[in-house]
Amino acid sequence: MAVRITGLGIVSAIGLTVAENLYALQNSKSGIEPVQFLETGKDYLVGEVKCSNEELVDRLGVRSKPVSRTSLLGLAAAREAWGNNRHASEIRTGIISATSVGGMDKTEKFYRYYLDRNHPDFNVLKCHDSGNTTERIAAELGISGYINTLSTACSSGANAIMLGARLIEQGKLDRVLVGGTDALTNFTLNGFRSLMIYDDQWCRPFDESRSGLNLGEGAAFLLLESDKSARLTGNTTICSLKGWANAADAYHQTASSPDGKGATMAIQNAIDKSGFNALDISYVNAHGTGTKNNDLSESVAMLNIFGDNIPEFSSTKPFTGHTLAAAGAIEAVYSVLAIQNGLIYPNLNYQNPIAETGLVPSTELRKGQPVLAVLSNSFGFGGNNSSLVFAVNK
Amino acid sequence: MYISAASTVSHQPTFQNDGFSKVIEPLGESSELISPNYKEYIDAGLLRRMSKILRMSVTAAKDCLQQADVEQPDAIVVGTGLGCLHDTEKFLNNFLTIEGLLPPTSFIQSTHNTIAGQISLSIGNHGYNMTHTQNTLSFEHALIDGALLLGEGNSHILTGAADEYIEFLDEAAAQLHPRPKLNLTSGASFFVLSGEKSEKSVARIQDVQVAGLVQDADAAIGTFLSDNFLNVSEVDLILYADFNAGTSKESVAYEYFNAHYHADSKLINYTKLSGLYPTNSAFAAHYAADRIKHHPELKNVLILNGLNKDNLGLTLIQSLEA
Repeated sequence: MAVRITGLGIVSAIGLTVAENLYALQNSKSGIEPVQFLETGKDYLVGEVKCSNEELVDRLGVRSKPVSRTSLLGLAAAREAWGNNRHASEIRTGIISATSVGGMDKTEKFYRYYLDRNHPDFNVLKCHDSGNTTERIAAELGISGYINTLSTACSSGANAIMLGARLIEQGKLDRVLVGGTDALTNFTLNGFRSLMIYDDQWCRPFDESRSGLNLGEGAAFLLLESDKSARLTGNTTICSLKGWANAADAYHQTASSPDGKGATMAIQNAIDKSGFNALDISYVNAHGTGTKNNDLSESVAMLNIFGDNIPEFSSTKPFTGHTLAAAGAIEAVYSVLAIQNGLIYPNLNYQNPIAETGLVPSTELRKGQPVLAVLSNSFGFGGNNSSLVFAVNK
Repeated sequence: MYISAASTVSHQPTFQNDGFSKVIEPLGESSELISPNYKEYIDAGLLRRMSKILRMSVTAAKDCLQQADVEQPDAIVVGTGLGCLHDTEKFLNNFLTIEGLLPPTSFIQSTHNTIAGQISLSIGNHGYNMTHTQNTLSFEHALIDGALLLGEGNSHILTGAADEYIEFLDEAAAQLHPRPKLNLTSGASFFVLSGEKSEKSVARIQDVQVAGLVQDADAAIGTFLSDNFLNVSEVDLILYADFNAGTSKESVAYEYFNAHYHADSKLINYTKLSGLYPTNSAFAAHYAADRIKHHPELKNVLILNGLNKDNLGLTLIQSLEA
């Protein structure tokens, strides 16, 4: 069976709507710039959503506080994906979001005041926990019942989409809003810097000279519907989610295995689940963070799966930065847009292939392509690997 | 789905203590975590770097797999309300106070999925690996995922939940909820859930439902019971948790089962046994399984998780005879 995708919403460094994101993708406009909204005291290159918290609160009309930036970004994307849908008792509706930082953007400010004994406002801790991030979004959209949050580091967003599909497949829900959201924080900026995988230049996925990632922030949601739900709502199906899989690399807490075992399993199982074979994949939206380790491991996994028939592939992280738990959802939206608009996105900042694998990503925007099936990869810390397969709805 | 094995590290003598449910008493205010000999389960080099939540979780997970004679589960599913708080606080301290290069370990171990990741690493498991974090319903969500996995044809799922106490929580709790003083604790409970009944089976998890942002808790309980063809009188034991741990007056369970049906002898507030942490309904699930194992006449045990007033979790655990 296939799960229908009937709504999309996104906020990222390259735009506050689906249309703005698509425009930037079609015009090779990256959103990675020196930091301007987060107070860091440094000049890091980041993919920030170009909107302050105050502007977001105004745009969204959020009244109750405290609210984390993570919730605000998520709400913006979730609202766009939800659109004009209505609640109906015969359509069991849920929401699954993914986040790695939750309300850390608020907590880290609190904690600075706390350490300084400078009147910390404990009230902001109410929006610290990741579950609260999702509850805030659900409350604004009037969704109750099945409200869930996943946190599997950089694969979280893909896992939220997969879980939604599985709940529909087993008839537990008829309609589910799935996605992920993460705000940029000093916690994660400092964290990735401590791991020595933060690039102070633009990130260069799949390039021999790559030396790390640029963090980004954002959120994306997709509305998934069963056949029954789509019949009742009358929503047009944009495309289908056909395959999904999750596998553990079980190699190292932060590093990916050199043989790409977990990644290979996730990709192979997702393709198997979709009913396609590897040759049917028109385009791979790669995880492609720009770290030495990920891109090599992912390249090896692609060689394991596709052999000499590597499809067109690219990483869109040079547009958005690595948005952690939102990445899988943001890239899922890009995958759907690739199918909908016949596009293959360029892998910006690429010059030379990785010596060990020699793979060459797509470097120019291609239009008018028959993009029938897209594989989207999300690999994370803790060996959490997930892959999704999107396809034209038949 | 069937519980083939259960293991809990907590402030009670739960670990490798079959029949603990008969002997434990409500916790006093100054209880401490009862730590197993972690070295029997975790390599010394790894153990040194592990925070409490990781030690508890990996140990309970491994104990549980050994009990069930399952070498490799088909999946590892973990629920955690607040995740790896110790390492989160440590890294916050580090980057706010240290200039220059920071040690990465506490950042690496701060992410919620470190628990499930460390379990997969410690046993070399390549299966589905998931982390649910929906505050007080994190464990119920992990159970629901476990049921989906069994529905997809898997055989054995390692499912559990963990949360850790750090001192900072006392201060935060005192600021946010001045009264009553909350008895904050740590705990990790893991289960091997199996699709088929076997000689290892202890009890059956018949149903799990979540009601996030619940408007009408009574209606949700009523629907849950009728979905499972149960009258209130057929529920033999109700394990409940309420946000207002001290007062029964504002208790969902009390109102529904006691005020309406005069069934108070069947009500046990499990937070008094486990102490308060977001996933203590996992402690209740182990408690229920242990009670059923030793009292098979308990046919239907309901776990009514109202720890957060906006979220209701309902889990029905049945004896194998039911």
